[in-house]
Amino acid sequence: MDNNFLVIENISKSFGDNKVLENINLNISKSEFFGLLGSSGSGKTTLLRILGGFEKPDTGRVILDGTDITNLEPFERPLNYMFQSYALFPHLNVFNNLAFGIKENFTQKEIEINVRNIAELLSIEHLLNRRIKQLSGGEQQRVALGRCLIKKPKLLLLDEPLAALDKKLRSKTQLELTTLQKKLKITFVFVTHDQEEAMSLSDRMAIMKNGLILECSSPEEIYENPKSLYTANFIGIANIIEIYKKDENFYSDDLGINFKLNKELKNTQTNILLRPEKIKIQSMNNLKTSSFNSFSGEILEKSYLGSFTRYEIKIKNMIISVLDQNFNSNSNYNFPKGEKVICSWESESIKVLED
Amino acid sequence: MKNKLFEKYFVFSPYFWLVLFFFIPLAIIFKISISVSEWGMPPYQDIFLFDNGFKINTTFENYVYIFSDYYYIGSFVNSLILALISTFFCLLIGFPLAFYIATSNIRLRNILLVLVVIPFWSSFLLRVYAWKIILQNNGILNVILLNLGITSEPLQLLYNQYAVIMGIVYTYLPLMILPLYGYLNKFDLNLIEASKDLGLNRIKTFFKVILPLSIPGIVAGSLLVFIPVVGEFIIPEMLGGSDRLYYGKILWEEFFVNRNWPGASALAFSGIIILVLPIVIFQILYSRWSQKNEI
Repeated sequence: MDNNFLVIENISKSFGDNKVLENINLNISKSEFFGLLGSSGSGKTTLLRILGGFEKPDTGRVILDGTDITNLEPFERPLNYMFQSYALFPHLNVFNNLAFGIKENFTQKEIEINVRNIAELLSIEHLLNRRIKQLSGGEQQRVALGRCLIKKPKLLLLDEPLAALDKKLRSKTQLELTTLQKKLKITFVFVTHDQEEAMSLSDRMAIMKNGLILECSSPEEIYENPKSLYTANFIGIANIIEIYKKDENFYSDDLGINFKLNKELKNTQTNILLRPEKIKIQSMNNLKTSSFNSFSGEILEKSYLGSFTRYEIKIKNMIISVLDQNFNSNSNYNFPKGEKVICSWESESIKVLED
Repeated sequence: MKNKLFEKYFVFSPYFWLVLFFFIPLAIIFKISISVSEWGMPPYQDIFLFDNGFKINTTFENYVYIFSDYYYIGSFVNSLILALISTFFCLLIGFPLAFYIATSNIRLRNILLVLVVIPFWSSFLLRVYAWKIILQNNGILNVILLNLGITSEPLQLLYNQYAVIMGIVYTYLPLMILPLYGYLNKFDLNLIEASKDLGLNRIKTFFKVILPLSIPGIVAGSLLVFIPVVGEFIIPEMLGGSDRLYYGKILWEEFFVNRNWPGASALAFSGIIILVLPIVIFQILYSRWSQKNEI
């Protein structure tokens, strides 16, 4: 695969004294669905706007399909931008919104055919004569998407594509968006603050913080093997435990237990990540705690989530989150609040955080 | 219940205002316009006479008189043309300014808005008089032009229709800028970016997106300038010459120089009807159109 379809090279941007982006480098492949994930103020939207041509970077270049587009105006770039607010034209109906970008270069007949095709692709044929105000949020999102896709862009930029939709519609649209992207093979780059959205949509994603890219990898890799403490906390639920070397094993003061790692460590002291679903939870009377990678604690909080139950378990100075899958339909299977339980995990589940 | 009643009538208070200060004076003017002229105080006869039994004493002579003399119709046409030209220039200058104010950051925006409003704090008469001083033969503008050697003798800048147009555009510009700003302030700037993203350059974006969405503001501002300019008296009087007669001036002369109150009232009443009727029809059609187009 062409790994250099979209090359972002040494991009920096400041607004006044505020450094928004610092030396950003990214390579995105053709037909990739790429996510930029970060909290507000991380610079993700500024980066997307630089790609769209709405902001000029202070330094660096943007190269799309071999062409340097850094200094091109938005209307000269072979890409399209889907706005978070959708920015549909309120004075035009759906048909004319869809046709807006192709009216210049196409005949009336071609416009007609193109609009029909795109409307069919997005199942909005019945809406063509509607006004924008008469559309629901989901319908508006499709029109905004269609208005971009009709131009057959090399690259589609999406700013928080699902943020304006309600939760149920969001998960449905997530699936549709990935299916559509795989079908059209257009490169998608999107921005989101929602880690679930980033995980479910992206082929690869970049985690941004304070104008820097902390990590860039597949969602699985970032979830399972985050490199930094920030990423570990940002993606999913994380139990972060500080450990230090003691004799053969590692020891945590907060938990008062030993950890056995399956790899050597350079440092004598480090943070480790233990994801809540990796922890096995068992009743006290069945077992005894082993000398390492397990502890006994008391259930402090419990929330039933349908397919899972989330427990907050107190042990010594720490509260550990555990997700337990509800295999059994018998509700008595769940551990009640206040019960003493034994938690244990495999050595492989312990992830060492380097920074 | 009492509160409800209060609310109900409170809503009608603008109409009360309108009746008190527009419809009643209009009715009085109409009454005078159909009275018979006479030398005396007031210079017209009562329309109801009781001396020899009840008698209605009205005439449409005054209307016949003003409509048969091109002197009156011509001045009204002059005023309409003046108002059209002035409104056009106000729009031409006011739109970019209003757009710039509406899209600048909040601090600059407030400063600029104050600058637009500041002229209202000084007397209208003084401001027009100041232009007279600037434009006169030994005025500041001519002195500069002479000293720079651009002209060898003073230019006649005052007392012509260009000075009138300039004075009107200067005076009425805020009335164009403020309603335009009101609409453009709500303008979603993403729409401009979306248009550019979809391949339209700045000029096409202006005509396809910005202009169609600004129509309500343009209509409001234009009416606010156009209507009062038709009846404008002071600016043509102070800056204009004798080359062109305007409606406001004729009206004033008819009232105060000729003391022909019925004729002047007929002129005023006709002017209001000719001006207001098309605008009311336009407003009705326009509100239907904008409802349909949801602007």
